[in-house]
Amino acid sequence: MLACNDLTVAYGEIVALQGVTLEVGRDETVALIGANGAGKTTLLQAISGLNPVRSGEIVFEGASLAQLGSDHRVALGISQAPEGRRIFPGLTVEENLSLATVNWRRWRQSIADDLARAFDLFPRLKERRRQLGWSLSGGEQQMLAIGRALMARPRLLLLDEPSLGLAPRLAEEVYERVRQIADSGLTILVVEQNTVLALSVADRAYVLETGRIVLQGTADDLKQNTRVREAYLGR
Amino acid sequence: MTDLIQLLINGLAIGSVYALAAIGFVIVYSATGVVNFAAGQFVMFGTFAGVAMLLNAQLPWPVGYGAALLAMALFGALFFVVLYLPLRASPVVTIIIGTVAIGITMQNAALLAFGSWPFRLPSPVESVNLTIAGATISGHAVAVVIVTALMVALLWLLFFRTSLGIGMRAVAQDIKAARLMGLKVNRLLALSWILAALLAGIAGLMLGPMWFADTSMGDPIALKAFAATIIGGFGSLPGAIVGGLFVGLSEVLGASYVSSAYKDLISFGIMILFLLVRPQGVFGERIQDRG
Repeated sequence: MLACNDLTVAYGEIVALQGVTLEVGRDETVALIGANGAGKTTLLQAISGLNPVRSGEIVFEGASLAQLGSDHRVALGISQAPEGRRIFPGLTVEENLSLATVNWRRWRQSIADDLARAFDLFPRLKERRRQLGWSLSGGEQQMLAIGRALMARPRLLLLDEPSLGLAPRLAEEVYERVRQIADSGLTILVVEQNTVLALSVADRAYVLETGRIVLQGTADDLKQNTRVREAYLGR
Repeated sequence: MTDLIQLLINGLAIGSVYALAAIGFVIVYSATGVVNFAAGQFVMFGTFAGVAMLLNAQLPWPVGYGAALLAMALFGALFFVVLYLPLRASPVVTIIIGTVAIGITMQNAALLAFGSWPFRLPSPVESVNLTIAGATISGHAVAVVIVTALMVALLWLLFFRTSLGIGMRAVAQDIKAARLMGLKVNRLLALSWILAALLAGIAGLMLGPMWFADTSMGDPIALKAFAATIIGGFGSLPGAIVGGLFVGLSEVLGASYVSSAYKDLISFGIMILFLLVRPQGVFGERIQDRG
């Protein structure tokens, strides 16, 4: 479904990603793990069209994304819950959610079904639907970020560090939902520092270190891998 | 008492013009971070668009107003394409200096086209005078207040009840996240410039009959609109409205009860007082909160 071929992304002189090749198949959940600064967020932003690609290409459903702006990529079905959640602070929960429907919504078309689905997944959002984004707790903001990404009716969901800054119990709750979304048949690429959580939902995973993919394999294989165990699982 | 009613209406009318100019200023500032130093010249262009359509072309009222506002909307789009788009990757200060340059160009272009002799822009309701509690009130002043209230209501509907307006607010709050949501960010940014130009156009058309249409009228308007946003709270829409009305009222009341020589001193004095005591204004966020 998604393929990055020999992708290099640089900010001026600083090369953030070097020759990254990865693939996400239909209905798969793929994790991209790595330490802070490894280039994980850079990769997701490149896929969403926020970062210019220096060389290599990103292919979605067989077509290159090179010429497409971020709005077209969302319309193709690539939706992202970004790092740090980036909830619109001055918009209500419902406005945050409704905003993400612009790519498919036609004039006066109802979004009630999509809203109901988001509220089913995250009942807490329903209680807070009239509250402004800034007033939500970190966990609620993360749920809103994921719910908002789903409102775009994606075919590929990109999640950037959904556990960031959350208490362990909340992080697990968020991942519970991620698993639920994956089970519903959506393709997911999740970027995560918390390797245990990421490998608990992923079918396959890639390990990114200073802009290069250093390891890849099925989640089960990586859990057994000595290098992963020492560097990322701490045992 | 009759004097006071008259003064209040006149103050509200001129304050409405300041408020509209200030709203346009705030819309552009919150969407793009650009402090538009040409905001006063936008209003001047609005007045002269009226001069061109109503006095020079002798168009009937509805057509003339429509044509003037259409010209302003096109001008807003042009401003976006000529100034903002090419400079959008540069530091915001560069764009701000660009607005200064375009403001100077606008004033001199108007001087070249219309000359330095002031015009008197008529008002469709200037023959109407109302009597309230013994006070004679100009129909134009009342119309200005009503039109402004209507514009504020329409803006509220736009920003809080349409997906277009919610998108504009989203772009103003987090442009990167807006891109990730699939919003057409450039279109929404262009729309904020067009909206600012339209509001300035309306302000200019309403101001024309109150002041003389003079190509140097832009600077005092810009200063008053700026004072309005400082008093109301920089970047706040309700603040721009309250600040605009406040500046208009203080100016008219000050001119009448203190001295017309001091009217600017009073409104700017209050602005300086706000900067010293409550720099975030009535409704404002603290300015340092913005990255």
